[in-house]
Amino acid sequence: MLQKIDAIKKHFEAEINNINEPSGLEELRIKFLGRKGMISNTFSMLSEVPAEIKPLFGQRLNQLKKTVEHKIKEAASKFEQKSRTESRLDLTLPGRSPGYGGRHPLLAVADEIKDIFSSLGFSIEDGPEIETDFYNFEALNIPKSHPARDMQDTLYITEDIVLRTHTSPVQIRVMEKQKPPIRMIAPGRVYRRDTPDASHSPFFHQVEGLVVGEDVSFADLKGIINAFAHRMFGSDIQVRFRPSFFPFTEPSAEYDFSCVFCHGKGCNVCKGTGWMEISGAGMVHPNVFEAAGIDSEKYTGYAFGMGIDRIAMLKYNINDIRLFFENDLRFLNQF
Amino acid sequence: MKITYNWLKDYIDFDETPQELADKLTAAGFEVEELYPLVKSFSGVVTGFVEKVEKHPNADKLSVCKVSDGTESFQVICGAANVAEGQTVPFAQTGAVLPGGFKIKKAKIRGVESFGMICSKEELGLEAKSEGIWALETAEKPGLDFYQLLNSNADYVYDFFITPNRPDCLSMIGIAREVAAFTGNSIKYPKQSLCEDSTQNISDFISIHIHDEEGCPRYAARVIKNVTLSESPEWMQRRLSAVGIRPINNIVDITNYVLMETGHPLHAFDLSEIRGSEIHVRSSEPNEKFTTLDNKERQLPENTVLICDSERAVAIGGIMGGLNSEVSAKTKDILLESAYFAPVRIARSGKKMGLSSEASQRFERGADRNAVPDALNRAAYLMEKFAGGVVVSGIADVYPQTIEPYKVVFQPDKINRLLGTDYSRDFITDKLQRLQLDVSENTVTVPTFRVDIKKGVDLAEEVGRTVNYTHLPVKEFTDIHYDMPVSSVEKKLRYFTRNMLELNLREAFTASMIKKSEAELFQNGGHITILNPISDDMTTMRPSLLPGLLKAVNYNINRNMNDVRLFESGRIFTHYRPGQLPDQPYSLAMVLTGKRWQEGWNAKADMVDFYDIKGYLESFLAKIALDNFQFILYDKSSYLCDKEALSLEVKNQQIGVCGKIAADICTRFGIDQPVYAFELNLDLISDVIHFERHYKPVSRYPYSERDMAFILDDSIAADSVLSFIRKNAGKLLHDLQVFDVFRGGNLPEGKKSAAFRLRFQAPDRTLGDKEVDKIFRRLIQMVEKQFDASLRN
Repeated sequence: MLQKIDAIKKHFEAEINNINEPSGLEELRIKFLGRKGMISNTFSMLSEVPAEIKPLFGQRLNQLKKTVEHKIKEAASKFEQKSRTESRLDLTLPGRSPGYGGRHPLLAVADEIKDIFSSLGFSIEDGPEIETDFYNFEALNIPKSHPARDMQDTLYITEDIVLRTHTSPVQIRVMEKQKPPIRMIAPGRVYRRDTPDASHSPFFHQVEGLVVGEDVSFADLKGIINAFAHRMFGSDIQVRFRPSFFPFTEPSAEYDFSCVFCHGKGCNVCKGTGWMEISGAGMVHPNVFEAAGIDSEKYTGYAFGMGIDRIAMLKYNINDIRLFFENDLRFLNQF
Repeated sequence: MKITYNWLKDYIDFDETPQELADKLTAAGFEVEELYPLVKSFSGVVTGFVEKVEKHPNADKLSVCKVSDGTESFQVICGAANVAEGQTVPFAQTGAVLPGGFKIKKAKIRGVESFGMICSKEELGLEAKSEGIWALETAEKPGLDFYQLLNSNADYVYDFFITPNRPDCLSMIGIAREVAAFTGNSIKYPKQSLCEDSTQNISDFISIHIHDEEGCPRYAARVIKNVTLSESPEWMQRRLSAVGIRPINNIVDITNYVLMETGHPLHAFDLSEIRGSEIHVRSSEPNEKFTTLDNKERQLPENTVLICDSERAVAIGGIMGGLNSEVSAKTKDILLESAYFAPVRIARSGKKMGLSSEASQRFERGADRNAVPDALNRAAYLMEKFAGGVVVSGIADVYPQTIEPYKVVFQPDKINRLLGTDYSRDFITDKLQRLQLDVSENTVTVPTFRVDIKKGVDLAEEVGRTVNYTHLPVKEFTDIHYDMPVSSVEKKLRYFTRNMLELNLREAFTASMIKKSEAELFQNGGHITILNPISDDMTTMRPSLLPGLLKAVNYNINRNMNDVRLFESGRIFTHYRPGQLPDQPYSLAMVLTGKRWQEGWNAKADMVDFYDIKGYLESFLAKIALDNFQFILYDKSSYLCDKEALSLEVKNQQIGVCGKIAADICTRFGIDQPVYAFELNLDLISDVIHFERHYKPVSRYPYSERDMAFILDDSIAADSVLSFIRKNAGKLLHDLQVFDVFRGGNLPEGKKSAAFRLRFQAPDRTLGDKEVDKIFRRLIQMVEKQFDASLRN
């Protein structure tokens, strides 16, 4: 009886060596392992096997089954390998493109900035783009005759309604309705009477930040700008503050980041200075608190601004702001 | 504002190098926008000794010279008539590079070789036009580097950006005071030791009457007789040129020089033109005209401060002098004005006339009314010295209301609180005193030249910037508040944008300001226009996002990118509202044109049509789960095709439109292929959708599908059949699609075939065929009856 098992084994080994294609392998599998295959048939003969060799017979037959299964699997995987390398498709042809879209790079950077401040616990506020003279100027300590009005040439809708020149009016709107502590940013589009060229656009984007509380200091302002710089451009970025002037802050500062391209060594982008001017900041002027109905004795606060366009230009090494609103697909599709 | 390094040293001692000075002043808040050497750099030029000069054999005007650099003699051809043996000259050797990058090479001139060039001042960039070569007045050893020789006293020009709060620093002395704050050295005030002619008194020449005290709180004058008009001294001309002021004559140059020194504007009149020996300061009357010294007749805004004599106006106070009283070649006697004008008045008049001058820039930011006599005396002194004038004894000075220095309460603890520092009282006092602020127990007295210091916070800035902002402490940001809400607007905008992006769309970004004619195509009247637009292209606030997107389509098609699908979200500006801000809702728009997808070797593509844009809109609405909307046929749009436009409505309110852009609109935007678009009012949509929503359970049981096709009248809208089926199918209808529509073939004229696929499903069981068939048959009968349709087989 045991010779029968050996015979099946020999038979199998002879056949498998002659198989050249997957279909033959399948036939072979059915022939030996199928429900009515040779191995199954032999199992069904178990009852006829003398009792003394029954255990050995069963063991040997099981062994054979395993061997056959293994060899067929092995052969199958060989065929599979072969068929992968012998595919008749010209795989170098391009695939069918589903097309792709994406966020505008400027707004993607705006998202990134908003997300950084969100994660630092700032609220995100919104305000109108067409704004009253009061919110855009008066409440920010910029009366009509103030020379600072020359610093930002304004587009007027009526004598008292303007296209906001900064997102700072949102500060006032928030302070009017919310008591300190306040921690907010206001991103959005702003307008200046600038003729478009590579570095100017009559409309661009700003993020205004405002933090009001008891004992908020210039040291806190330096801390938040540092934190932002590191998250946006990396922890090796240096931040520099210089005194400046804005009617709505006192003390006022301009802040610069070390050049993201040359890491402060000096290059074309930073004109050899190693620094890139980012924007302005400062401690909220008491007159602004008073205009918004906040007790300037009790509370102090800082405010800062930043240009989203400028940061996006730095981030992507874009040297012409007009690329952002030309909507050239060859530009947009890079993002 | 420009200053030079050496000129500044007249007023303050300091050891900083030019770059160090720039860095320190920048750190103090005076941003150096430019720093450059006054003498442009050159190289390879040495002092040369002219050993021999002979006539050129082949040219009359040229000489053949032997020039020594101390070690060797070179043959050099020179064209200047003034070259002579024994001169020390700037000798550019072969290989030298002159200003402007001009390189000196060995040359053959009319057959004679030349090894270098003898230079003029012009060639070294030292003056605009030179006659002949530069023969040095004192002999120097040959072979010295000429650039270094000149630069042993090299001067540098600084161009500062002075913030509008610091008019006092629009002057040398102002900057010197800032240098004093970090060096601790004292200011060297310029000399003004006059020799007045005591035989004559100012009151014999002029009397001053201020009728507009608000506009002119102080007016003072001196008389300088018998001046000789000529060029001002060369050093003065050079200094003025270096800071960008064109030298004119000694009198004008002196007033400018003193302006640059002290920051206080002066004006010189020809005394003989001042009629009646009187000066009257008054404000202008309506429609008054005046010719300024630039020979322009100007319409004066009302309430302009005017300087007049007994008969006529002679100057616009603080802005510009008059042509009629200008100093000229025949001028003998000078009336020199030093006054203080109110900032608001100067700013208002200057702005209205569009006229800005060195004087008006300072007055409108705030001059120092107590600097009036000093500036006057200094200029008189210089006129005495450099114009041969005789200064008449006395100053005519009308100053009705003496202004006392401003006083600020001194609270060091508040300064520390604001800066986040813990400086001692003494430390803070020292910082303030270095800036000439007078600190007493509780009060800081602010000198009148500092018009910017009004409050305690201003003192904090003074302390901060003299310490240097960089050295102020940094408090690490650790104290995060997680309870600050994201505004609902931000949340909504991101939600809508994200859903568009998830439809594989490309986001665009277009201008908010457009042409009026473009706005008119999209909104009939009511446009929000700009009073002072930048150009005709940007006069009107966009009433729709579509004009901008159509421009983007045009831009890309012009560059052979004909398949464009873009969307944008942003504010549009639709209507004025009396007494309020104009309407400025958020809008979302999409444009679609060209091929349906990117064509490839195995992917042919058709052109998009109406159903593509509608499909995008439907997908978007499905994603934001807007229910209860209706598409209404819409033929009232000014920019969509009447036959291919839908209005999207919720509860009978229009919240958007969708359709094909009318051909004439496309033409206006230079587009000659069909463009499809939709635009939605996001503010309105936000009101009718639920941003927070719960999921609807998905049935785990299989669905049964049934198809039905009808022949019905062509005029019956698909939507009416769909709504009818939906309404009558009962709860088990899970999904309903139109899967085929066709006309023609063997169908009768005026009929169409429409096929619908219905999917039935129950949330809690597998539906049996019998149950489904029953509903299905009932629906067929109802549709046949309702629409006079017949079932196709």
